[in-house]
Order: sequence, then C-alpha cells, then structure tokens
Amino acid sequence: MSLSTHNLSVGYHDKAIVKQVDLSIPEGKIIALLGPNGCGKSTLLKAMARILSPMEGQVHWQGKNLHGISSKKLAQQLALLPQTQPIPEGIKVKDLVAYGRSPYTGFWGRINRDDQVIIDNVMTETGIIELADQLVSELSGGQRQRVWLAMTLAQDTPYLLLDEPTTYMDLSHQVELMHLLRKLNLQGKTIVTVLHDINQAARYCDYLIVMKQGEIVTQGMPESVLTETMLKDVFSLNAQIHQDPIAQTPMCVVE
Amino acid sequence: MISIRLPFAGQCLALVLLLLIFSWISLFSWSVIAITPMDALHALYNMNAESIAQHIVHDLRLPRVLIGIMVGANLAAAGVIMQGLTQNPLASPSVLGINAGAALGMATVSSIAPWFGLLGTSLAAIIGGGIAWAFVMLLGSAWRGGNEHGRLVLAGVAISALCAALTKAVIIIAEDQAAGVLTWLAGSLTDARWQTFDSFWPVCVIGLLGAMLIAPTLNLLQLGDDNARNLGVSLMWVKLGGSFLVLLLVGSAISSVGAIGFVGLLVPHMARMLAGQDHRKFLPIAMMLGACLVVLSDTISRGIIYPAETPAGAILALIGAPFFIYLVRKRTL
Repeated sequence: MSLSTHNLSVGYHDKAIVKQVDLSIPEGKIIALLGPNGCGKSTLLKAMARILSPMEGQVHWQGKNLHGISSKKLAQQLALLPQTQPIPEGIKVKDLVAYGRSPYTGFWGRINRDDQVIIDNVMTETGIIELADQLVSELSGGQRQRVWLAMTLAQDTPYLLLDEPTTYMDLSHQVELMHLLRKLNLQGKTIVTVLHDINQAARYCDYLIVMKQGEIVTQGMPESVLTETMLKDVFSLNAQIHQDPIAQTPMCVVE
Repeated sequence: MISIRLPFAGQCLALVLLLLIFSWISLFSWSVIAITPMDALHALYNMNAESIAQHIVHDLRLPRVLIGIMVGANLAAAGVIMQGLTQNPLASPSVLGINAGAALGMATVSSIAPWFGLLGTSLAAIIGGGIAWAFVMLLGSAWRGGNEHGRLVLAGVAISALCAALTKAVIIIAEDQAAGVLTWLAGSLTDARWQTFDSFWPVCVIGLLGAMLIAPTLNLLQLGDDNARNLGVSLMWVKLGGSFLVLLLVGSAISSVGAIGFVGLLVPHMARMLAGQDHRKFLPIAMMLGACLVVLSDTISRGIIYPAETPAGAILALIGAPFFIYLVRKRTL
C-alpha cells in the first residue's frame, strides 16, 4: 500500500484527536471518511498530508516515513484540499489555480505551456473557466470552493485528500463534483474524501472508513459498512437501509 | 484603489525615471556653495577637478544619494518580506521591534565600548535587531501560524517600548556619546560617505537578490500555512531564511544611516496598490518606490530649515503618517 498509517496518534496542543490508528489506503479507489463531527476525520487527513506531525506512530508513503520526503516531492504526490480556506485578497482565479503548479514550476515560479494546458483543463472541469479573470475574494462560497478544488487538481497528484469538498456547493454542483471525482479515479487517482452525506458516499465511493472518537470503527465496501447497527453506534441515528433505486447502492433513510 | 494601471514594464520604467530625477535634484539642490544642475551631471562622468561644486557633488552628494537609494530599497524589501512571512499587514521593521532592538544594540556598544568603531556598531545593530525580532516572533507565536495578528503587533509594541527604555538608560549612563546616538536614532543621511557606501553595497545587493529569490514563495504564503505546505513550501526554512534576509536588509540599512521608520510599513502597501498581489511584481516596485521616497525625503530634509538639516527620518514620518491614515481609512488593514 502506498499510503498507510502505523499506530498513528495526532492532535493539537498535546491532546490526541486521532488515537493509535492503523490504516492502509486502498490504492486506485475513491475512499470516503465518515464519522460524526469532531471524530478526527480532518485531523487524520492533515496528518496524512503532513500538515500535522504525529505525536506517536508514523505515516508511510511507499514504505518510507512521510517526514523523510522533501516538501516539493511530496507535493507532487499528495494534494490536500483543507476544510476551511482563507479568502486571499486581490488574487485572480486563474492566478490562484496556477499556484497549484508550484511543485513543478522551474526557476522563479515560471509557468510553461504544459502547465498552462493543465490549468485550463482543471478550470474547465471544475466549471470556473468563465470566472478566470475575477477576483477570488469577490466570488460566492460555492464558486470559491470550486476554485480551491481546481488549484488542488492542478497539482496533478496521484493521491487527492479532500476535506469536505462539497461544502458551500448547491446540490447540482455537488453531483458534478462527485462525477468529476469518478472521472479522475478512472484516470488512476486515489481519492480520500471526508463527506457528510452518507448516501452520497455510498453511491459514489468504493470504500468507506468510519471513525468515532479518533478511532476507526469499521471499513470496507459500502454494502458491508452501511448497516443499521453502525448508524446507531456511530451517529446515534435510528435509520433503515434501503437500496438506491437507480444506482443499486445502499442508502440510509432516517426514521 | 488608485487606478494607475500602467502595465508592469511601464511602471518600472516610470519609477526608474522618477528615481533618476529625484537623485539628480538631490545632487544639486540646497547647497551652501552654489551647484548648478549641469555641475551635478558633469561630476558624474566628466569631472572638472578645479570646480569645488563638482567636488561636493562627487564626494558628498553622490554617496549620499546612492546610500539613500539602497536604504529605501532595503527597508521596503524588508517590509514586504516581513508582511509576507507573518501574513500581517502591519508587519515592518519599526512596528515589530527590529529598529528598536538595533538601536539598543548600537547605543550599547557605542556608549560602553566606543573603540569597536563602525564595524562593531553595525554588528551590534544587527544582533540587537535579531534578538528583538526573535523575541517578538516567539511572544507573538508567529511560528505556530494561525491568525494571531493582534498578538504579534502587541508583542512588537512591547519589545519596542522595552528597547527604547533601555536605550534611554544607556544614553543617560554614557552621556558623552549621547548626541551621536540621538542623531542616529532619528535616522539621517548626513554622515553618508563613500566609506559607508563601500561597506554597505555588497550586503545590500545580496539582500535584495535574496528577496527577489523568495518572492514566488511569498506568493504561496498568502494562501495560508496549510496551502503553502501542501504546495511544497518548507515553512520552517522559508521563515528562517526570510528572517535572515530581513536582518541583513534592515541591519545594513540602519547601521549605515540610523533607524529610519515608516518606509518598511508603507511602501509595501503603496506597491501593492500599483502592481497587485504578485510578489514577483510588487517587490521590485516596492524597492524602487522605497528608494524614491528616501531620496526625496533626504532632499527635503536639507531644504526645510536650510542651511541646517533635519533628519530624513522625520520628513519620512511627515509624509508617511498621513498616507498611513489614508490606508487605514481606505481599507480594513
């Protein structure tokens, strides 16, 4: 496995949020991280992207400790879309997306023709090409989220770590995003994403990882993970599992 | 926003022209012995050894203008780097304690151990500034990231006040050195000579080149620490390297002419208004603007109570304070 954690504990100010987690990310799949608020999903994601340093244990990338890899090289392998993003002042959409090419650009951040092709591509795929010349600070929340996503995609990494990528998006853009993730997955990318909508996760993801209080409760295919007892245990929800009439995936309906 | 939207090359050209004109005016204006504008030009490339006016231009005025240009560029670049590193629009050598720390270092050495000479005081200024900056960064927890803007500025104000108090104590203890230290504290180019220029320019060139080199990285820092890391920036090295550059730029500038304030705070904001947020563009613009501002202030400082001189730092504060108020009112910093 390319990305894995070993006895990983990580948190803030000496308080562990993620506790002794052993996890292997299945390669070439779309993986959803599920769990109630504060269960450590984002923290785990940040540790896997080396934004946070482990208190205990390690994250391994292709068998090597993540912390032994150079920053630039890692940025060509892993891209993280953080949950909350700043609102940069005075930066145009196209320039922000172009910053996604930083791990590859040569001297003085120069963008070459290949970079420009990738930038134009991701802007088209995320539907922000018409916004290219606008200021990021003047966009709506959903538009801005797509711009940040485009920057992350411009990094063109085999691994994508997305923290609630659908935040602020209306339903149609959410669906578009999930389709885009599927397309990127078919191109060979491994995608780990935190999602709140369990049904969306079951429908579009190959593999679910469920967390509770910093530990992994269960993981596997949606059919085996999404059960009434799991929803009761993890989310304290009384719900029934039905079959999605269109995708034939499991679907939960709250009682 | 001021809508002077010349293309980047045009802005550079305009600023270079402006700088040349200011420098030229500075070469011949306000002299006790009359200097004509032509004298100023002749002294540069076709000097007449008999002309006293041309000697004044060559031996006194020219190094002064050149040092003014370097000081302005250095302080502006330092301000840009500090604002980029801390993501704090108020960050600058004067607000975050570097000037006060350098002043303390310089005053201490020149009062207690004056035999160290120019090199000793320069080193003392750099070390003092460095210690103050490190304290401010630690107290303001700027290394940990996050948006603790207020805390960083408060730490800067506190450290500045402490350093200023200690500096005064040192001056009182060693009274015979007080006049020199006080002139230096206000920041003045009166004593700028070729000798100062010779020791200043290598450091200045290294510092400014270094600043240009980290400009693309500063661009990524404005996306926040997490995004910068994610894009392959090694934050610790950038912050250490950037701080080192700041000390080089500020230390060399203020050990040459004294604690000139406001340039580092204001000029980056002016440059952003002109050239936008891309550090690769607004950093060189800031350097040129800073140079223009210091040369202009120095010229005015000689004219204002002619034939006596006021410190250029005071003139800068006179120009700088209203502009700063304008900035504060124009946008939420």
